[in-house]
Amino acid sequence: MIRSLALVLWVLVVAWCSTAHAMERADLIGKVCGDAAAMGEAGRAMIDIAAEGSPDDRAWAALIPRSVMDRKLSCDATGAVIASADGSVDALTRAARSAADGSRSPLLSLKNRAMFETADAALALRSSPDPARRAAALRTLERQASNLPEQLFEAAGRDESNPGLKAQISAVAQGAALNSPDMDKRIAAIGRVASSPDRRALALVGPLTNDPAYGANTDFRRAVDAASAAIRRGITIGDMLATLYNGLSFASILFMAAIGLAVIFGLMGVINLAQGEFIMLGGYITWLVQEALRLIAPGLLQWYLIIAIPAVFLVTAAIGIVLEAILLRHLYRRPLMSLLATWAVSLFLINLVRVTFGTQNLQFVTPFYVTGGVPVIGDFIFTWNRMFAIAFAVVTLGLTWGLMRLTPLGLNIRAVTQNRTMAGCIGIAVRRVDMLAFGLGSGLAGLAGLALAPIYSVNPQMGQNFVIDSFMVVVLGGVGTIAGTIVAALGIGQINVLIEPLWGAVAAKVIVLLMIIGFLQWRPEGLFAIKGRRK
Amino acid sequence: MSSIWSDRPFLAVLAAVLAVALSLVTSIAVPFGLSAYLANAIGQLAAFAVLALSLDLIWGYLGILSLGHGLFFGIGGYVVAMYLLKHSFEVTGKVPDFMQFMGWTAFPFYWAGFGYFVYAALVAVAVTLLISGVFGYVSFRSRVGGVYFAIITQALVYVAMLLMFRNDTGFGGNNGMTGFAVIFGWPIGSRGVVISIAAISVVVLALTMLGCRLLLQSRFGMLMIAARDDEVRLRTLGYDTLLLKLAVWCLSALIAALAGMLYVPQVGIINPRLLAPDLSLEIAVWVAIGGRGHLIGAVIGAVLVNAIKFWLSAAAPELWPFILSGLIVLVVFVFPNGLVDLAGFRLHRPLISRLSSEPAELNR
Repeated sequence: MIRSLALVLWVLVVAWCSTAHAMERADLIGKVCGDAAAMGEAGRAMIDIAAEGSPDDRAWAALIPRSVMDRKLSCDATGAVIASADGSVDALTRAARSAADGSRSPLLSLKNRAMFETADAALALRSSPDPARRAAALRTLERQASNLPEQLFEAAGRDESNPGLKAQISAVAQGAALNSPDMDKRIAAIGRVASSPDRRALALVGPLTNDPAYGANTDFRRAVDAASAAIRRGITIGDMLATLYNGLSFASILFMAAIGLAVIFGLMGVINLAQGEFIMLGGYITWLVQEALRLIAPGLLQWYLIIAIPAVFLVTAAIGIVLEAILLRHLYRRPLMSLLATWAVSLFLINLVRVTFGTQNLQFVTPFYVTGGVPVIGDFIFTWNRMFAIAFAVVTLGLTWGLMRLTPLGLNIRAVTQNRTMAGCIGIAVRRVDMLAFGLGSGLAGLAGLALAPIYSVNPQMGQNFVIDSFMVVVLGGVGTIAGTIVAALGIGQINVLIEPLWGAVAAKVIVLLMIIGFLQWRPEGLFAIKGRRK
Repeated sequence: MSSIWSDRPFLAVLAAVLAVALSLVTSIAVPFGLSAYLANAIGQLAAFAVLALSLDLIWGYLGILSLGHGLFFGIGGYVVAMYLLKHSFEVTGKVPDFMQFMGWTAFPFYWAGFGYFVYAALVAVAVTLLISGVFGYVSFRSRVGGVYFAIITQALVYVAMLLMFRNDTGFGGNNGMTGFAVIFGWPIGSRGVVISIAAISVVVLALTMLGCRLLLQSRFGMLMIAARDDEVRLRTLGYDTLLLKLAVWCLSALIAALAGMLYVPQVGIINPRLLAPDLSLEIAVWVAIGGRGHLIGAVIGAVLVNAIKFWLSAAAPELWPFILSGLIVLVVFVFPNGLVDLAGFRLHRPLISRLSSEPAELNR
């Protein structure tokens, strides 16, 4: 008995609901066909449907505003008909029928037209399957976000599948909530905005100090002040981290360029002015590997940065060995002439590459593993392309250290650096060590070029921009010590990026140079000079 | 060093330079003779030769390689360009281009007095001495030498270039300074003035050669060569090598500034590219190609390399870097002492290089 009663009740409720729906829909169509005031109500009703209506309702209503604006909807005695390319349908039931005689298309007033535009965008944001259409709708809604029901953005943000669009929707929703007429909601929104402190948040919260409520309401003022302080703090921390991060990535490139220079300088007393060109060659070989993969194995194209590592190292090392064997060998006792000779090599390489490849920047595919980054705090994004350079430098450092400390070649290099004559006397093939060390230094510079490829423009001139900084690293770090090179590269890299935002790039270079000259007054042999007799 | 009268190769080159000067001077008076274009080219070569002499003095005779001599060349050039612009403005009333770019109507305050050549020349001397003196003192005091010194001077000129590339410094920025109209009240483009400046440059070259030669055969010159060959021994003997090196370094910087002052009126433009590290390196290349440690080597190298460069930059500009690097490699392999080897000149070789067949650089 009770069960049958419940069943009857259930049937009644369902019937009432569906009639209510039907009645709402019919009512809406009636209003669309009504006078200007009724049409305005219809517009608001459709916005409410977009915000709170069921998926069915939204899909049903989505067609209406655009049809009215385009004069595709005509009203007649039994309701309304929407004309489309596939034939006309009844606006209420969506069954095919054509308009009766004497039908008219309702004309929108300027005010109602704006309302219908908004309704169209709101419905599109909620129910369009096309992300581009949803993004366009969001842009339309953004301008009047504070006049729209906040459930609209909440629901849209909840249902959105595209992550980029989702972030945009929540940003618009925050902006809307900040200007909401309800004070509690405003204060809550301020708190939410402050939880992700960046320049965009500051731009949202900053203008609120000019809001009338800022003077009138103490809670509001306190919330705004606390939020903007928190945001500023976040931005400062973020900027500091970003500076350190950029400095670290710059330092890792410097380190890779300078470690080779330092080993060669310590060994032979030769500063290789062509070191920058080995960086450039590294970039070009990386590009050649990429192009070769594009032709031979397009499936591996994304991995060209990894595949190029051995190719870059071996080719630049081989070029370095050839250079040492045919040119520098003859200049062993004349280090100043060898400066000029390596400069000639640098001039030759730059122009050879310029004639062969042209002067334009090379185009690199950006593989997925160096794309994008993780936003940390403020405007600091932990980008993968810089992380690649840093990680690469750390691995290179580890391998170089291992080579210098744990292998016979490293032992020989260190022995010759400390005392060439004595090393020769005890049977070390000094010339062979020179050659291999030069190859090692050139190969490391080539790897620096590879690490630069995703973050820097690769062209024939690129080496020139690093070479003077890496010389400074060698001067500061002292010769033949990895530790000195690391500390000097970190120092120069960080000082450069720390000073740059304050006084500009030129001042950074001037200050670094002055500091180095000043430093040499104190320790003329560099930071980590090898103890021994002064030559 | 032997007396100048027994140094036949030097006298021969000096005589050739004087002959060129004489032919230029006579061309001023007569309408035929050398064309203005040729005279201008000769004048520029003479300025480069003076610049090469300045580097040879410090590198060839003191063993200190500077890769930043373009800085002093640039100081001379910038100061004389400031004089020319201010003077041209006072005569013609035309506002210099760089001020128009910046939207300035008045010269910056530090341009005051640059309408007078004597003042400009004094400023050039003062600035050159200040920079070379301070930099030389701190470097030589901490005994920074050899390759270290070379790359620090290179960084110095690089920084100067970056500084001059800035537009707000009041020195023309990246466009540099150009549009000189008047020099000492004369129109700068007329044939007579062009040939006169060229003649002055060649005469200055001859005087610089003579001056350096006399300096080198003096007691001071002997000390320089001694410091080059074994500085530690000289110091142990009780000589103050710091003062010696500093004096020669400053003198060399002054000669380089003089070369800049001769060069800029003849090319009619100065911009920060003159301060590029490449140009400073090229000076060392001229000296190395001609023959470092020989005054005539520096002159021959500068004239020869730049003559080829003038000719090629019109005929085949793409080829020039390859030829230059080829020349350097040639010098490295075939003529370790530069082209003066070619003529079989046997000049004042120091004892140590006679023993080792290649000149040594002990203070690397």
